[in-house]
Amino acid sequence: MRRNWLALVILAIVLIALPLAIRNEYYVNLASQILIYALLAVSVNILLGYGGMVSLGHASFVGLASYGAVLMLNAGFGHLLSAVVAIIFSTACGALFGLLALRASGIGFLMITLALGQIVWGIAYRANTITNGDNGLRYAERPAPFGIDINAAPNFYWFTLIVFAIALFFVWRLTRSPFGAALQGARDQPRRMRMLGHNVWLIQWLAFVLASFWGSVAGLLFVYYNLFISPHAIALQQSAEVLLMAILGGASTLTGPILGAVIITLVKNVASTYIDRWNTLLGAIFVIVIMFMPFGLVPGLRQLWLRWKRPAKAERAA
Amino acid sequence: MTPALEVLGLNKRFGGLPATKEVSLTVMPGERRLIIGPNGAGKTTLFNLVTGDLSPDTGSVKLFGQELLKLPTQQRVHLGLARTYQILTLFPKETLVHNVVLALLGLDRLRWNVWAFLSGQRHLYDTAREALALVGLGSSADRTVAETSYGERRRLEMAMALAQKPKVLLLDEPLAGLSQEERSQVREVLARVPRDVTIVMIEHDMDSALAFAERITLLHYGEVIVEGTRAEVVADPRTKEVYLGE
Repeated sequence: MRRNWLALVILAIVLIALPLAIRNEYYVNLASQILIYALLAVSVNILLGYGGMVSLGHASFVGLASYGAVLMLNAGFGHLLSAVVAIIFSTACGALFGLLALRASGIGFLMITLALGQIVWGIAYRANTITNGDNGLRYAERPAPFGIDINAAPNFYWFTLIVFAIALFFVWRLTRSPFGAALQGARDQPRRMRMLGHNVWLIQWLAFVLASFWGSVAGLLFVYYNLFISPHAIALQQSAEVLLMAILGGASTLTGPILGAVIITLVKNVASTYIDRWNTLLGAIFVIVIMFMPFGLVPGLRQLWLRWKRPAKAERAA
Repeated sequence: MTPALEVLGLNKRFGGLPATKEVSLTVMPGERRLIIGPNGAGKTTLFNLVTGDLSPDTGSVKLFGQELLKLPTQQRVHLGLARTYQILTLFPKETLVHNVVLALLGLDRLRWNVWAFLSGQRHLYDTAREALALVGLGSSADRTVAETSYGERRRLEMAMALAQKPKVLLLDEPLAGLSQEERSQVREVLARVPRDVTIVMIEHDMDSALAFAERITLLHYGEVIVEGTRAEVVADPRTKEVYLGE
């Protein structure tokens, strides 16, 4: 227990000190990007890992929050109001999407979330007069929370890190909470949970709303980072990629999706400068991990660690 | 006195096959009712209709006078209904105590809390351990379900239902697949259930459950054939015909 805390403190110090150590703006920005995708993956994992609901429409919350915020800003509203309204709007859409998607479960749920994601993408792509279609929308500057300028790469990284840490803390509490236990119960034995007095539908819907809320927060960070949003950022490929991050890292864990986001974002950005076929590399990594660690990297590595420790014990017993 | 459970003219067809035909049943508070019948008699279907896993074509189900049919399963549970399953439905990777805690959460407002640590809810765990002790699983509370025997799982099913302090408890073949010794353990547990709990129990094997029953209902092809006290049902020639295979 104490060792866990120590590891956490060291990790926090490393993460905070990161921009001071790297100094290269490109890599600091890359670190911010990783955090944003990690938050997105953690949020979709509330559904995937803890709720057993596979959603292929999670990028739509990036879109709803991003377009919402930029449209408000371009209409002349302030940063704080735009951010709040964008998050509320995007989460409310999430509540509605949940209402529709939870008419079904399993493949049906997946197809409805896919369709909803495509609708959001389609609107962004086609509603030229509002969204500027394929060209996307721009905004000039990042907000200045509490008067602190976050335009510089290190400052933006720290801002993202703070938001990420808060979000992760909330999701961690959620997974350890009575509601989290009920969500996991509803994933494993929905019929039994009903017979124990649990409202399975409401549990899953609330999980959907929470996932879309944190997805929207990630979306807001995304648009602050890029100061630009276009339909490409919210296409089906994005939703699938976020899902892959969670699966690659291990959907049954809190930290798995973060590791998945680190690997996929690094391969996409760093490996792609050295090899043309980085997509193939990504595919190979994915196949190899799933072959040897079907539950993802974090559970797989944990098992390896235990196996590495156990033979010592077994030998001593012999 | 209002019956604890009142079933009136219940019909359910699966395609062309009637699973329950005009089933009516009145169970008084505190009663121990045994429902017997050969395979496919519609015993489990009857339970599924009472709990809301299935909805009937026609008929009515009342719990202490309140109509249940329009209510979803979880609300029926909040009114005091609990059941165990013939085919075990547990949470295999979790500990026994966690299984019972999930049962307790089902009736606790705390289940909506997204912030508190579940492991910090001492009262839930204490109550869950008491329920496990009641069925003789006190010392196994921290083992996972996967590590327990079939007989222990049967008793866990019972602990989860009893922990909820139900008014009406439906037991679906709680003795099925158990050894003689395990059967007597389960019977002891049942004998200790207080009288403010009404128990309706399905049993395929009549001999093993006869001692428990005060009144018996015999189902055959979805219909109530015989109903009465233990002595009446056992003495009835139709029981022999349908059940004892003469």
